[in-house]
Amino acid sequence: MVSTRTLEHSLDTNRKRTSDLRTALLFIAPAAIGFVVFYLVPAVRGVYFSFTRYNILGTPTWIGTENFEKIAVDPLFWNAMWVTVGYVLLNIGFQTVIAIVLAVMMQRLTKSIALRGALLLPWLISNVIAAMLWFWLLDYQIGLFNQVIEWMGASKIAFFADETWAIPTIAFVNVWRHMGYTALLVFAGLQTIPKYIYEAASIDGASEWTSFWKMTLPLLRPVLAMILVITVTGSFQVFDTVAVTTRGGPVNVTRVMQYYIYQKAFGEGQFGYGSALAVILFIILAVLAAIQLRMLRAGESDLA
Amino acid sequence: MATFNFRKAGTALAAVTALSLTLTACGGESEPAATNGGDGEAVDTSAASGQIDYWLWDNNQKPAYEQCAADFQEETGVSVTITQYAWDDYWSGITNGFVAGTAPDVFTNHLSRYPEFVTQGQLMALDATLEADGVDVDGYQEGLADLWVGQDGQRYGLPKDFDTVAIFYNKALIEEAGVDEADLAALEWNPEDGGTYEEMIAHLTIDNNGVRGDEPGFDKTKVAVYGLGLDGGSGGGNGQTQWSMYSGTTGWTVTDKNPWGTKYNFDAPEFKDTISWMASLADKGYMPTVEAVTGQSSGDIFGAGKYAMITNGSWMINQMFGYTGIETGLAPTPVGPSGERASMYNGLADSVWAGSDNKAAAVKWVEYLGSAACQDVVGEAGVVFPAIPSATEKAQAAFADRGIDVEPFLVHVNEGTTFLFPITDYASQINGIMQPAVDAVFTGQADVDSLDAANEQVNALFNG
Amino acid sequence: MANHADTSTDAPVRKRKKMSAGRILAWAVMIAFLILSLFPFYWMLRTALSTSRSLSSDPSSLLPVDFTFGAFERVLGLATQEEAIAEGGSGASVNFWLYLRNSVIYAGAVTLGQVFFSAMAAYAFARLRWPGRNLVFGIFLGALLVPPIFTSLPNFLLIKNLGLLNTFPGMILPTFLMTPFAIFFLRQFFLGINREIEESASLDGAGPWRTFFRIILPMSTAPITTLGILTFITTWNDYFWPLLVGNSEGTKVLTVALGVFRSQTPAGSPDWAGLMAATLVAAVPVLILFFMFARKIIDSIGYSGSK
Repeated sequence: MVSTRTLEHSLDTNRKRTSDLRTALLFIAPAAIGFVVFYLVPAVRGVYFSFTRYNILGTPTWIGTENFEKIAVDPLFWNAMWVTVGYVLLNIGFQTVIAIVLAVMMQRLTKSIALRGALLLPWLISNVIAAMLWFWLLDYQIGLFNQVIEWMGASKIAFFADETWAIPTIAFVNVWRHMGYTALLVFAGLQTIPKYIYEAASIDGASEWTSFWKMTLPLLRPVLAMILVITVTGSFQVFDTVAVTTRGGPVNVTRVMQYYIYQKAFGEGQFGYGSALAVILFIILAVLAAIQLRMLRAGESDLA
Repeated sequence: MATFNFRKAGTALAAVTALSLTLTACGGESEPAATNGGDGEAVDTSAASGQIDYWLWDNNQKPAYEQCAADFQEETGVSVTITQYAWDDYWSGITNGFVAGTAPDVFTNHLSRYPEFVTQGQLMALDATLEADGVDVDGYQEGLADLWVGQDGQRYGLPKDFDTVAIFYNKALIEEAGVDEADLAALEWNPEDGGTYEEMIAHLTIDNNGVRGDEPGFDKTKVAVYGLGLDGGSGGGNGQTQWSMYSGTTGWTVTDKNPWGTKYNFDAPEFKDTISWMASLADKGYMPTVEAVTGQSSGDIFGAGKYAMITNGSWMINQMFGYTGIETGLAPTPVGPSGERASMYNGLADSVWAGSDNKAAAVKWVEYLGSAACQDVVGEAGVVFPAIPSATEKAQAAFADRGIDVEPFLVHVNEGTTFLFPITDYASQINGIMQPAVDAVFTGQADVDSLDAANEQVNALFNG
Repeated sequence: MANHADTSTDAPVRKRKKMSAGRILAWAVMIAFLILSLFPFYWMLRTALSTSRSLSSDPSSLLPVDFTFGAFERVLGLATQEEAIAEGGSGASVNFWLYLRNSVIYAGAVTLGQVFFSAMAAYAFARLRWPGRNLVFGIFLGALLVPPIFTSLPNFLLIKNLGLLNTFPGMILPTFLMTPFAIFFLRQFFLGINREIEESASLDGAGPWRTFFRIILPMSTAPITTLGILTFITTWNDYFWPLLVGNSEGTKVLTVALGVFRSQTPAGSPDWAGLMAATLVAAVPVLILFFMFARKIIDSIGYSGSK
């Protein structure tokens, strides 16, 4: 009886092995169509444009690697890299830590949906409006925060314009907007950790802090890895906040990569050069994503 | 275990790339309608019919233009669909429209954009049709019609309205300072010490302790009211509302000729002295720094009572006079070393898209927009200054009805002290170079002589 | 053994005290973040209840300046042009309910399609076995990195060539079938599903389709609902793509329509009161949606429930 079962089982798995491909293809077909048509083809075209001189309204002229050579010696490119990396470090650093803290609190401290909704509220308004709002609240001359600062006797801070404050401020605006949302993602990940693990830990006398470091975090790794890849990628592509507030200025203090790309491609009619910049950004993001996924061994789950 | 096999990835990616490139080559996207401005063939507008699209960005003017459209439809039977986009979205919408072939038949055009559109062949040349219809292009305020003639000598727009700059001031603050409003109209400026203009500005500046800028003990780090505000930033390469009214009195010209110059003069001492003076004003605390004005619009800050005076354009009139609790006044820009005042002179026009499929109706609409019939309606709405002198007077009357005396703006037109907004190729690239360069001088990050290098970069564009 | 006995009697007291101090700290932090999140909304409300022209006269007042419901009337399309301009607001006409309907259609359609098709693909990547699976997933993931500048214009041209400009199909198409985020997100969760479940299902004779629809999907309500809400909100707040593709009255979504409250002239001011009122009103439907589904996300012990 047992042996027949096992035999049947192995036959079944064999059949399953080969038929998985057909099923899989059917399962991914719609997504694959979307991917090829709306992402892949435009991306390849974009790569093509990076080897041309093109102003959108004319026809592209092939110029080989000239754009890339120009980029290597373009001080604004290096400025954009420097500015963007600084932004990403601040933005993701704070955002991830805060999100984890908030998510853990949402799970362990209170189950109130109202509170959770309140934390998510910033994410419900659009990027553009959030940026405009903070641009006003933090305005040097008529912003509320500076009025309070002056009232307390200190000197006002040009949050969006000062060399040392501009990028941190923009990072802050985006952390403000995304912390609830990222916390929700982490929270969804926390839900996948079975309760019995916590029970076992508390029976063993582990404190909240230890159980968090030694168990929660490691078990969160696949979800955290995914969140990091997505947020880092998104962070590198910051655009709306800058476009609506400082537009890269004053001087070049907030001229992040994506803004510089748009400025070149659409503002100054150099779509080829802008595409080359975008290709470089793409490569950087791809390398970063691969590193992150490798380092965090995102494919494994300590649970399964 | 999910590992990433790079070699496999490479081969697969190469295969997919090849496939995609072939897909691309097979087309699937049409080439954008790159019809050139035309050999200027005349279009028969007597047969105009059907429907056309018209875009504009200023919502405050929309009612007036809707009235024009209604009148136009009665006259000719052509229906005009007016769409408004906010300034921030307007130009990307137009460019996307060019690319996709969905641009509006007629749209409000701006001097900073139109050279690029002409080079890209997106505007229709109007000369032949205008001549055939006997349109008088001399009936506009002086100089406006010439602005819209391209380098190829063809006309790409009919003037619609114009703007100049003047000084807006806060009447209460002026009174408190013991200054007579008439004094403000008699100020003189020079780039060395700022003349009576700077004296006035200093006197009007007040720090947190109530000490004025020309009194001892003035704390320039804690200013409560600035004698002169700054509109948005350093003004980049043209400083229309920031410093052009000063540099225009030094005998300096932006380019070797305007329109269609090919050599910029940002290395001229007159220009550099003007910029130095502006920077020094901020340094002394009489004017906010570039960092301080990176934020809300200068109008809102004026409305909060932080500026005694500020130079700004005539398109801001209604906003500047609309702030609760602030009584606003107008004064002309100061007289400079040339012995006269100066104001940059900008004019908008309506252009026809080269890819329009109803050119007859489009040109007829443009002609109507450029005629007194429509411009009078616009003038009476009291929002901007229309280009036809009789309509300008109507606008002046409309403003006066609301208690606003716009003479300080019109004095330049009447006395011929206007100079043109710079019109050259590569406008957006030049701005990309000059904005950070002038910003840097204002913030003190760079010496004023760094503008020489910027100027070289700009002029290199014309030789490249 | 004795040790354990000791701790078990002492532990509750010590733990409660420890948790007490820690809990107070945690609550303090929570409240700080709540204030940080909510204050700007209070500011928005306060501004929305003011008139635009008087805002500058008292920039740091915590109360509405020159109290009025005018901004909300403007947003809901109830104000006349004269009333609007008198308050310093934008005189544009806003056909509010129509734009709301359009937003619901747009966001709703995109969410349904995207979640469903991405779930299918995520399942294939996470649980089915087939050659090249990880490679293809890696390529799909690459879509995440494609800069928007590459995709917006070509997609716009494609939609135009298909004749779908200013139609709902044209608007929803690019993100209807997948986004890299959706697939990535669901795959991570599907990866965590215990293999035993599928094996027992296959032993019962269920093929992959039935396993997917009858077992996996119902088990994954938490992540799927989460993704659904995230997608809906993101699509609801979309601005640039609908601006490009949906300009007719029949397809204009709320975010695009409310762009009239932004500044009309270069370096002008936005109609602040109108803009803030517009933002609040546009956020209400999404907020309602969130609260409707919040229980599902939070309470679902989800697919660890098999334990």
